[in-house]
Amino acid sequence: MKKIFLLLFLTVCCSAVFAQQSGRISIRGSITDTSKALMPGATVMLLTPKDSALVNFGRTNDKGAFEFRNVRRAPYILKVSYVGFLPLQVEVNPEAGDATDLGALSIKPIQKELLEVVIKTAKAPLSIRGDTVEYNASSFKVPPGSTVEELLRKLPGMQVDQDGNIKAQGEDVKKVTVDGKTFFGSDPKLATKNLPADAISKVQVFNDKTEAAKTTGIDDGKREKAVNLELKESHRKGGFGKVTAGIGNKDRFQLRGNYNRFNTKEQMSVIGLGNNINQTGLSFDDYQDFRGSQSFNWEDQGDFGFYSGGVYFFGGDDGMGVPITGGGSNNRGFSRNYAGGANYNYDTKKTKLSSNYFYNQSGLTLGSDLEKETFLPNSSFLNTDQKSQGSLTRNHRGSARFEQKLDSLNTLVLIGNLRANNGNTALFSDQNFFQGVNQTTRTSQTQFDNRNQFNGFQLATTAIFRHSFRKKGRNFAASVAYNVNDTDGSAQQRSTNTYFNDTTATGAPTIFRINQDNVTNSLRTEIKSSLDYIEPLSKTTFWETFYNFSLRNDKVDRDVFDVGDQGSVRNNTLSRYYTNDFTYNRVGSLIRYSDKGFNVSGGLAALWFHQAGKFASDQASSSFTKVDRSYFSLVPNVSLNFNRKNKRFNAGYNVNVNQPQTSDLQPVVDNSNPRFIREGNPDLLPALTHRVSGGFGVFNPGSFVNVFVNLNYGYNINQIVYNQTIDTLLVTTTKPVNISGGTTKGGSIYFSFPLKKTKAVLNTNFYTNLNKFPTYINNALNQTNSNSYNMYASLDLTPSEKFTFYPTFNFSITDTKYSVNKAQNLTIYNYNYGGNMNVMLPKGVFFNARMSYMIYKNPKFDFRQELPILNLSVYKLFLKDNKAEVRLTAYDVFNKNRGISQQAYQNYVQTERIQTLARYFMLSFSYNLRGLKSQMRQNNYF
Amino acid sequence: MKKLLVFLFAITGIQAIAQKMEGMVTYDRTQDYVKIMSRMTFLSLDQKERMKATNKNYSSKPTQMVLYFNEDQSLYTNADEYWRSENGQWSYRNSDYIIRRDFKQETQSDVIEMLGRTYLIDDSLKTPKWKILNQLKDIAGHICMKAETEDPIKQQKIVAWFAQDIPIPAGPEQYSGLPGLILELDLNDGDVVVTASKIDLRDVSKELTANKKIKGRKIKSADYDKIIKDHIQTSMKAQENPYWTIRY
Repeated sequence: MKKIFLLLFLTVCCSAVFAQQSGRISIRGSITDTSKALMPGATVMLLTPKDSALVNFGRTNDKGAFEFRNVRRAPYILKVSYVGFLPLQVEVNPEAGDATDLGALSIKPIQKELLEVVIKTAKAPLSIRGDTVEYNASSFKVPPGSTVEELLRKLPGMQVDQDGNIKAQGEDVKKVTVDGKTFFGSDPKLATKNLPADAISKVQVFNDKTEAAKTTGIDDGKREKAVNLELKESHRKGGFGKVTAGIGNKDRFQLRGNYNRFNTKEQMSVIGLGNNINQTGLSFDDYQDFRGSQSFNWEDQGDFGFYSGGVYFFGGDDGMGVPITGGGSNNRGFSRNYAGGANYNYDTKKTKLSSNYFYNQSGLTLGSDLEKETFLPNSSFLNTDQKSQGSLTRNHRGSARFEQKLDSLNTLVLIGNLRANNGNTALFSDQNFFQGVNQTTRTSQTQFDNRNQFNGFQLATTAIFRHSFRKKGRNFAASVAYNVNDTDGSAQQRSTNTYFNDTTATGAPTIFRINQDNVTNSLRTEIKSSLDYIEPLSKTTFWETFYNFSLRNDKVDRDVFDVGDQGSVRNNTLSRYYTNDFTYNRVGSLIRYSDKGFNVSGGLAALWFHQAGKFASDQASSSFTKVDRSYFSLVPNVSLNFNRKNKRFNAGYNVNVNQPQTSDLQPVVDNSNPRFIREGNPDLLPALTHRVSGGFGVFNPGSFVNVFVNLNYGYNINQIVYNQTIDTLLVTTTKPVNISGGTTKGGSIYFSFPLKKTKAVLNTNFYTNLNKFPTYINNALNQTNSNSYNMYASLDLTPSEKFTFYPTFNFSITDTKYSVNKAQNLTIYNYNYGGNMNVMLPKGVFFNARMSYMIYKNPKFDFRQELPILNLSVYKLFLKDNKAEVRLTAYDVFNKNRGISQQAYQNYVQTERIQTLARYFMLSFSYNLRGLKSQMRQNNYF
Repeated sequence: MKKLLVFLFAITGIQAIAQKMEGMVTYDRTQDYVKIMSRMTFLSLDQKERMKATNKNYSSKPTQMVLYFNEDQSLYTNADEYWRSENGQWSYRNSDYIIRRDFKQETQSDVIEMLGRTYLIDDSLKTPKWKILNQLKDIAGHICMKAETEDPIKQQKIVAWFAQDIPIPAGPEQYSGLPGLILELDLNDGDVVVTASKIDLRDVSKELTANKKIKGRKIKSADYDKIIKDHIQTSMKAQENPYWTIRY
């Protein structure tokens, strides 16, 4: 039966072969090693000669034989591969008959050292091109500082003699090239003796045509051994830079440029800017170009707690870091800004270093007009304030960050930030107060002229040590920080306060004058330390425990002098000397569970806070008022997060503890505005907010429909609010106090979907905030309910490559109710219609129009302000790779720009108008070595 | 008779001689997002270089994939249905991705979740046109040979390293059809690298026959190719990275 079957099978096969005799053939042969031993199990592949494409494959049988049956009659390459042997390639040209027998083909073993050293030990790919091999140089360790010659000695199959002559596979190497180019003339030793070994990534040994053949172009068939050294990326250098310069009417100018040099380990960059068009800081792009690989460092936060890691901070000019303002112009006055800095980064797998220096200065001229109505129990008053201000601030910032992987389990991060700043301000204010029916009777006027100057120095240092245990998931971290803030300031306060109703017997209004100088020296030092430990309880459950400690010392010496005819006399009521020591301890623990897209964590912390302070009018004083308080609180934290296919859900409950600001705590009276006196309160407690939040999102990556809904509720305990006492002369004295019962409620819905794929997308967003805000006004409890409703809608219209249009609409209503004076309830409306249009014109010319039509309305005061702002620009990209751009811009074509803000808060409503940059034209030129891009699309969120 | 038998062995080739081979391969799949973003034609050189510089010190963590194989079949899928962060803070569900190949029946059967839905793709086995190159490399203790092909839909250059001593035509992702098991796959010069970390020769018949019911839309290979092609085109036009929502 078996035999019959075989026979049958054979017959069928044979007949198939016969039938296609003309077009189909079989190819057979056998494989042996160099000692003629049969090689069963070798892989045989049939490739096309043109492109080595795989046509068929098989393996040799236990007799080392193979056969490809029924393949198309054509020339082939037969490739044989076997572990430990060099791949063999044989050209197959079909013979006349049905079968082509290649006979016994022998395969050569791979040189043992190549196999063991290159492939097995170094795990490096070995290229074999006929006789050519390629080594991965980085796999061969040579002592630091070695030359290529020493590297070549290490390579299997290469020999270098005493004089530096090189032999590869027994033949003399006639030529050494670097990245394919001849290095220092024709002597091969020049390259190998001079180049450092660590600059090389690959060594290729191959047979090259002779020089004679190359020059004559006639292949003499001779080949000579050549070596090519491929350089490592790190030894490839790069540089890029960009510059923008613009000049406009009204003496407007802008200059901005940066230049970078880099290789794989190092980056050096310089940046500079100067302008008088209100651009005070760096844009995000500029910042990233400046800081490069160290733009964002995720684990630099040393205060471990419920949310550790993942925090980085972008800041304006008040912080320790390089100021980032997004690069746009702000609408506050007129500023002249200069900035510049240098940054150096060094990055390897083990060591990362970044250091930079940044200087900036900003001179600001500001004129503003304020109208403010303040509500008192059963009455109200109006005041106007015309201010003009001139200021100059300078900042020097230095920072260094060093990260060292001590070994695979331990990492150390050291961060130091330094800032020295100084500045001066002159502020003139003319305030008029109105009362009576419709608030038309002017009852008082205050004019002041205050001059301040300050010198500050701040230092912030942090050291973080992280240790991972061998047990996966078990981690320990410790941090120490030391911060100093030393500020010395002085001020001159000159004011005239005229009260028209409060007349003396002669009928002239009463005039109070303040003529004071003050000097304030304040020094704050802080030592902090944190510990953190994570223990994995299972694959999905983790237990984290943290401890925070800080010791802060504030020392302020403020001397106030009344300046009179007799010279300066110390004012003992306003002068203050105080010290405050704050000790803060927090210990907390939480359990985290994370599995199957379900992440939940819950924990509790206990915090203890102690304040020991003393204050008096003078440091030599015999009687100090003492403050000695302790505070204890338990702080829970729960968060939940659930990811499902195309759905997301999150919820959380936490208690935020906010320490009072230093300025609120100090027992100092600030009378720089004699009509609005601020007092500190050393008895303030930390503010607590209980917050519950939740949200869910649905998104469909196929249809691009996204919906996100969020809700949150907050309840305030010991919220810090500013109580106001307003005397009959309308002098407001404000003092921060703790009050409980305030709430915030918020909700938002975001919805985005494409109207037409790739051409039109609609985004809408509704959000609302309902705030309840208690405060004392003249000892009467006032509750301000402020409800705001906002709507935002935008369309992304991108019908073609040549035209894009992005209209936006923004609408907000703020409804404010004052329990202390219901008659004053009011509603503020803000509308904004905007649009951004881009048109691509022929010859690399582009046109951009940006429109913003803002309407501010407050019907109660018959206030309506419309600001139609239109910016137009035309630009042309030119030179190779669009490296250059010339641009003509018209800012605020209608000359209407003004900074406007409307606020209803606590017990007042105010409208402020600030003069700022209005219409100007600017012609600018940009050059970027990496090329510039047209801004046809508004967002490249990638 | 003896001669006849030899001849027969020769024809039937591989199946007749190879020992019974089956087992499981664990792969580390690393996706380099910065490299992928750098391929977006709508980004300028300035933006790409800035992104590269800013992300220089960060590298993507590999995800684990597994391949079960015997001489006739293979199954490639996520090692774990869920992705978990190292510190246990996060976990999320991996998209469905089950790639079955039957070399005997010459069929393929894939479960691929993309663009917000799950597709079931059943069709006859399609093998890419491989080129065999002359490079050798050791991967997980096996000397592998280099082969190349390209993906005409995603326009990717594919490099595969196949083991000389595991004569199974299976491989990771949707690649197969080489004279040996693919132990490393490199898509587009390192955009995605799938490397075998462990090879365990054992009985895997249970894993290969397990058939979890997954609901999805049934399509053919040609439909799948069209969906991918259209999506890449639309996303590029909308200036979005298509690979946020489909597998690279």
